[in-house]
Formats: sequence, C-alpha cells, structure tokens
Amino acid sequence: MIRFENVGMRYGMGPEILRDVSFHLAPGSLHFLTGPSGAGKTSLLKLMFLASRPSRGLITMFGRDIATLPRADLPDLRRRVGVVFQEFRLLDHLTTYENVALPLKIQGRPEESYRADVKELLAWVGLGERMTAKPPTLSGGEKQRAAIARAVVAQPDLLLADEPTGNVDPEMGKRLLRLFIELNRLGTSVLIATHDHALVEAAGAPELMLKNGRLTIRG
Amino acid sequence: MADPRPRDEKELDREARGLGGALKALIVETRSVMPAAGATGLSLVLVVAAMCFLASLALGAALSVGRTSSDWARELSAALTVEVKPVDEVPQEAQVEAALKLLGETPGVLSVRALTKADTEALLEPWLGKGNVTDDLPLPRLIDIRIDGHAPPDFDALAKRLVEVAPGAVLDTHRQWQAELVRAARSAQWLAYAVLAVVATTTIAIVTFATRAGLQANREVVEVLHLIGARDRFIAAEVQRHFLHLGLRGGLIGLALSVATFVVLGWYGHAASTFLVPVSGLRLEYYPALAGVPLIAALVAVVTARMTVLRTLHRLL
Repeated sequence: MIRFENVGMRYGMGPEILRDVSFHLAPGSLHFLTGPSGAGKTSLLKLMFLASRPSRGLITMFGRDIATLPRADLPDLRRRVGVVFQEFRLLDHLTTYENVALPLKIQGRPEESYRADVKELLAWVGLGERMTAKPPTLSGGEKQRAAIARAVVAQPDLLLADEPTGNVDPEMGKRLLRLFIELNRLGTSVLIATHDHALVEAAGAPELMLKNGRLTIRG
Repeated sequence: MADPRPRDEKELDREARGLGGALKALIVETRSVMPAAGATGLSLVLVVAAMCFLASLALGAALSVGRTSSDWARELSAALTVEVKPVDEVPQEAQVEAALKLLGETPGVLSVRALTKADTEALLEPWLGKGNVTDDLPLPRLIDIRIDGHAPPDFDALAKRLVEVAPGAVLDTHRQWQAELVRAARSAQWLAYAVLAVVATTTIAIVTFATRAGLQANREVVEVLHLIGARDRFIAAEVQRHFLHLGLRGGLIGLALSVATFVVLGWYGHAASTFLVPVSGLRLEYYPALAGVPLIAALVAVVTARMTVLRTLHRLL
C-alpha cells in the first residue's frame, strides 16, 4: 500500500534528514515508528501525509508514484490517509463536532448524510457530551480523542499518529492504544510514531526504528 | 439526540427560508470553516464602504456631466445668430430686412427674430453702462434664429447667401462654443472615470492585501484543511464567501452615503451654485446605475480574494 524505496530528504540545502529509507506497509498492518527526538520521525510522517516531497528516492502510495502525481490529484490521496498530529491541530473556532466532521464536509457531503455517524463516533471515543465544546475548553485527553476521531471519521485506508500518547498520562495512553488496535482490527493500516517503549512492547507490533536518518525494521 | 450545532446557526437555517432570508443570508455572514473576521473585520468593511462612496460619486458625476454637456450642446445647436454689421454701401435696416426675408424663406428655420436697438443696448448695458453712449457707436444688429435640430439648414450655403443679400451679415453657428463646452465636459467625464479606475485599483490592492493577511493569520487553519484533503477551490470558496459578505456590506454603506449626498445636493444645489456647473443632484434614471456599484465591489472583492487564495495555496504541495 505504501512503499518507500531509497528515499532521502533534506530541507533546502541543509543536511539529509532521511537517508536511503526503504520499507513497505501492507494493507491492514500495524507498525510503530520509533527513534530518538530529531531522528526524522516527523519528517517521515510528513512524506506519508503528502506535506513534503522527498529529495530523492521513490514513494508509491496506493499504487501511485507521488513524484509524477499532478498536484490536483493529491487531495484524493490525502483523503485516504487519516492523520493524528502531534499537537492535535484542531481548529479552535469550530466545535468538537464540527472539527470531527471536517474531513466529510470538505468532501462536499451534505451534513444530513453524516451527522448521525459523527455523533456515534464521538460517543464511541467518549466525547458524546462534549460535542458543542470548542477545543480550547477541552482537556489534553479530550483533544487527543477528538483529533483521533477526526483522523478516522472518513474511514481512511491508513492512519498515521504522531506521538499520540505524548500529552496524556500512561492510563490514557493505554486506552488510546486499545483504540488504535481496534481500528486496525477493523481494517485500517496504522502507523504510530512514538518514543514510548512501553507502548510498543504492550502492542507487540513490528517496529520501524529511525536513527540518524536511517531506518531499520524490527519484528 | 439534540442538534449539536450552536443555537445561532439553527436560527440562521430557519431564517434562510424565503426571499427575506435569502437577502439576509447575502448580507449577514454565516459560520464558515474559515474564522470569519480574522484580520479583515469592521475596518475593511469601512474601507470598502469609503471606496464605494467615492466610486458612486465619481460615477454619478460622470453621468451628470455627460448629460449636462449634451443638454447644452443640443440647446446651442438649435440656436443661430446673424450679426449684421453696418457697411457703407447698404443701410443697416435694409440689410436686416433682406436677411430676415431670406431666413424666413429658408427651409429648416423655425423662427426668426431681429433684436431691436433697445435689446442690443440692454445686452451691452453691463459693460457700457446706462446712457446714450451707444448712440455714437456703430453697433451691429443681431438676429436670433431657431432651427429644426433634426433637419437643420445648410450653414455654409446659408452664410454665402446671407452675404449676397446683406454684405455686413455674419452667421454665427455657436459651433466654437459648442466644441469647447463639449471638450470641457468630456475632460470632466474622463476625470471622473479616472477616479473610478483609481478607486477600483485601490480596492483590488486592499482586498489582495487583506486576503493575504487573513490567510497568514489563519495559516494553521488553511494548512490543516489542506492536509486533510481539502481542494484549493474548497478553501477559496470559504474565503471568497467572507469577501462576498464584506463587499456587499461595505458597498451598501457606501451606496447609502452617496445617495444621501446626491439627495442633499439636489435640495441645496439649485439655490447655491456650489460648483462652476450648476449642480442639481442626480437624475432619477441614474440611481439604478449607482446600485450597480456595491454589486461590482462585491464581485471585485470575491474575484480578487479567490485569485489571491489560489495563488497562495499553489505554493503548498
């Protein structure tokens, strides 16, 4: 589904952040992405949610080479990828409900067609009572769950989560992990970037390890 | 389960029904994915209002000046004057008689009236004063002619024949005056259109700047929308909707101010000749043209915002 072959990436004329990165994510798989801070985890995720282009190498997403993909085709690919950003990136002027419904709204779907689904999803992540609250009034854990709900509401083929447990206590971290595993069981490929080793061991899933821009695969 | 949307949004939904609701929806901004005001709130509405006010004044002035000049041209071209100078060979009275006779027989001439000596003296009074000064002066006699504007006589032929019957007669068609008036009015009209062009360009520049500032202020929102798969035109539509409301609101305020200005000029303009040209407000038939100004302002704002957004987004992957 996602294939990286000898991918390198640098910002401007700076040093290479990623070097010769190669891996393959199969449909329905669950992977962790680990490595020390500054190892290039976020840069690798940026390539995967199409926020950056690689400096070299080949990236194939859903069977398409992103180097030759016209810009107008990128939104369709992005819609197949759900992203939980490290700092949530919820829109503060919208309610929790509106934030979570956003990926469906931008697809141009009428609200009646998804209102019930979004409410159901919000109830499932425990935000049923917080639908009209705006992000600044949510707790860290609530924001995290709203961000996850937004990432999965459009039933993406791939879910990318950047440090999803970085801002929550260990108990909430375990609950969120169970949520990701549940989503994975339902058929979504999941890649979780984290430096929480307890989380990786608890899940027992394969681990992509980044160090100094190079990737090794364990498990 | 209760509708999670905020109360005001549900109210807007209800109000959106019917014509009044449709009009209100154009003026009052509904909730958008983009933060509504951002960097472009009330101050920008006021700027657009000021621009529309100036544009309406310039447009009204251009239309009025055009109308006034064509009125003048029409009045002058319907009137001719024959000046009969005293000459040695033929007595002046005989010349006037002959000229009147010829003019009376000329097709296209509606009426002919010779000004009496008293009329001529009255015309000269402001310069020469009362008294018998004019008795000793060889004054020309004037003949006032009204012609049919649609079928005027041949001026050159008429002038030649006049000289044949009355050697001191000169036909004055007022063409020089007419040409100068029309030229002056045209200049004023072009000036008004130039003001319109400057106002339009300034508005485009301001909207471009405001759109960029708005995008910069809402960069996070734009980036998130972009990354979750929003197409450029979706984001542009959200932004341009904001500018549609803004342009219409500002435009209507500017229109109201300019209409008030023309109405006030209409009231006081007759009595006081405020300008060189007697200002008499704006003719009723020109008010619909002014109503076009807010619509054009909204259109300019929308198109400019859209192009700015699309250009800015193109820099993102």
